[in-house]
Amino acid sequence: MALIEGALAGIGRSAMEKGRSLGGTLDFSFRVLRRMFSPQTYNAAVRMVLVNQIYFTSVQILPLVATVAVIFGVMFIGLFGQYLRDIGLFRFFGHMLMGFVVTEFAPFIVVLLIALRSGSAINTEIAVMKMNGEIRTLEMFRIDVIDYLFIPRIVSGIVSVVLLSSLFSLIVLVSGLFFSSIIFGMSLNDYTALLIDSALFSDLAVMFLKCATFGFFIVLIPIRFGQRASEELTSIPVSVLNGMVNVFIAIVIIEVLSLITLSVIKKLL
Amino acid sequence: MVSADAPLISNLSVLGNIALILEFHYGMSKRAAEKKVMGHLAALGMEDIAHRRNFHLTYEERFAALVLRALMVRRNAVAIDRPFLLMPGLPYGRHIFALLEKVEDLLYEGAVFDYEWNRERYEEG
Repeated sequence: MALIEGALAGIGRSAMEKGRSLGGTLDFSFRVLRRMFSPQTYNAAVRMVLVNQIYFTSVQILPLVATVAVIFGVMFIGLFGQYLRDIGLFRFFGHMLMGFVVTEFAPFIVVLLIALRSGSAINTEIAVMKMNGEIRTLEMFRIDVIDYLFIPRIVSGIVSVVLLSSLFSLIVLVSGLFFSSIIFGMSLNDYTALLIDSALFSDLAVMFLKCATFGFFIVLIPIRFGQRASEELTSIPVSVLNGMVNVFIAIVIIEVLSLITLSVIKKLL
Repeated sequence: MVSADAPLISNLSVLGNIALILEFHYGMSKRAAEKKVMGHLAALGMEDIAHRRNFHLTYEERFAALVLRALMVRRNAVAIDRPFLLMPGLPYGRHIFALLEKVEDLLYEGAVFDYEWNRERYEEG
């Protein structure tokens, strides 16, 4: 009986801790959002950090995103298009491209690449700065840490995921055009008409909102966990580990919420 | 505050560290702030450390950068915390006072805090 009580107490304690942590993250998110939309936040120093962060997060990863998009476009479009033609459902080729590749696959791949690359780097950077006393130093000199350190990184995350997802989609659609014309004998006009017929404004709107939400949280969560590092060196890998696990949980939650939102919108329309 | 507990920001150069204070406290542009900081570094004869990061500085250079950063604050009250901890090889305090004399026009208020057993090191030399 005592064992069961102990186990239940443990579960309850863990749930309460997770709830407190989630509440803290949401509170931090609202504070960041308020500052993000305030023009006073963006002084000369913050603008310079923002430009650098956009370069590190979007520009440096461009070759990798483009390569993955080309490989995916060549393999997937060709194989899937051929399969649809074989089963007599080629008329759904446009829906597959717009409904799956552009709205689901492109954002998911891009967010994974950015989370693995930039999310982990930002988590480590903030944890090291915390351990080193640099964050305390900035606060000592009345330099707002949210404005100077966090917002440029979060904004660059949002910009990067939105733009790179769009680029990924564009490359895949161009690959689709190549296969459609060479292998399936489809003209440019027919291909374009297929895409336009399959493109729904609600899908694209939810996709952009989803990309922006992804970009926001895959940087905010590593920052939050980086701040939890203590003055011990060993707290850094623990902070990065926890940060990245929570990033992936957030990616799944946002993906599920976007699918629910899309199905609700379609029902209403 | 000039202290081992308030280090330079490691991903910024000396110039970036000091100019950051001017950019935030005075709303200066990056170019204007860096120009002003270069002027102060030149007054100390330390222009060559401007583009170096924390790891590549000697103890004395780091100390000078920390002092200049503290002096950039408007109506500063500079507390120098245990300077011999920041410059382990320094035998006497005259280097500290010589540096402060070069930038005394920037100093509004200042104090040096150290252990009692180091008192002689400030009085000697």
